Amino acid sequence: MKILIADDDKLSRRLLQKTLEREGFEVSAVDNGRLALQQLSLPEGPRLALLDWMMPELDGPGVCLEVRKQHDRPYVHIVLLTSRGSKQDVVSGLEAGADDYLTKPWDPAELIARLRVGQRILQLEDRLVEARETMRFKATHDPLTALFNRGVIVDLLDRELSRTRREKGCTVVMLGDLDHFKSVNDQYGHLVGDEVLREISRRLLSSVRSYDFVGRYGGEEFLIVLNNCAAGQAFVRAEEVRNGVANHPVQTMRGPLHITMSLGVLASRDWDTRPVEEMLSEADSALYQAKAEGRNCVRLAEPNTS
Amino acid sequence: MTQQKDRSSQDAVDLPDLLARVDNDHALLCELIEIFKEEFPRAFQSLQQSVVREDIRSVEVTSHALKGMLSGLSVTRAAAIASQLEQMAREGTSSGLTDVLTLFEREVANLLPELDAYATETML
Repeated sequence: MKILIADDDKLSRRLLQKTLEREGFEVSAVDNGRLALQQLSLPEGPRLALLDWMMPELDGPGVCLEVRKQHDRPYVHIVLLTSRGSKQDVVSGLEAGADDYLTKPWDPAELIARLRVGQRILQLEDRLVEARETMRFKATHDPLTALFNRGVIVDLLDRELSRTRREKGCTVVMLGDLDHFKSVNDQYGHLVGDEVLREISRRLLSSVRSYDFVGRYGGEEFLIVLNNCAAGQAFVRAEEVRNGVANHPVQTMRGPLHITMSLGVLASRDWDTRPVEEMLSEADSALYQAKAEGRNCVRLAEPNTS
Repeated sequence: MTQQKDRSSQDAVDLPDLLARVDNDHALLCELIEIFKEEFPRAFQSLQQSVVREDIRSVEVTSHALKGMLSGLSVTRAAAIASQLEQMAREGTSSGLTDVLTLFEREVANLLPELDAYATETML
């Protein structure tokens, strides 16, 4: 594990470095508080720090205060190491944001034991963050396809439309539905149907840009949101998506299946300030039209200008 | 045996403590002594000048630094005197600083040769 030592006393710095390296820590050492803060602010910087109290430029408690302001970074466990050992010093060091406190001259065994405590706390934090992220993913994604779920994709569309209006840009909305998907389930079973949905989801994601959004809107319905996409490009982009689905059969446990998708598309610029529900309703009408006109095709929703 | 006892009571460095701190690593001990020989004279001179000038803030900072490097090498008595100087300076006491400095000077008078001797001795 990476650890930062900040001490302006060269001798202490070297002794600490050697002691910690012996214990398997990956040590970086600096001689003032400003450099310590710099190191601790790096995206992959150390998350365990041993700071001297009195240092040039920025003292140990000063570093603690600054580090604690960085709420978007993983937690840094800070141990203040100093010869200032009065109760008042201990309290002010801890109140500045230090997690632990050791006085000089330190006992090597105690130092290591306390750092191991810090390590355990950081490992616990990592596990909690991982669990939170797993929960967050589950709450926002469809479990079968790992695409955004309906609530999230509609919310993202709503936000994107607001941004587009502010910036006078254009968002393209595509509602796609797999053709005759019910017959896939009926003929080959739901496991094959699931395979198809997973593979199509993968293809949809690979046919859009990394900053576009793809979500599972319903059973075999998908909502695609293309950010900052010119209205004139809507049809071409939808055709790319359609071809991405239709051009190659989906390999399943029951053999290759030819799958197609119909799409209803609209460009937000043509629809002024209509709410997201109305936009979706218009895209749905265009999709219905695509189905009615033979499937495996794209239809653009045209605003009524009369 | 008697010689060893006399020595431990007079020596500036608590050798067993120091060896424990470096985990009996002779190379590290020599390295630390080299660092000390490089850093200590400068800080010591700065302390002496600060006391003469009665620059209390500077006495506090320099004696603090000296205390750190001395305790790092288990030079315990000298570290305690440096701590006393730091405390006096922090409290704004300038009277008596010269007397404590004299004590400190006596304590560290033979420190560098003593450390050199340890470096040689522990190698054997």
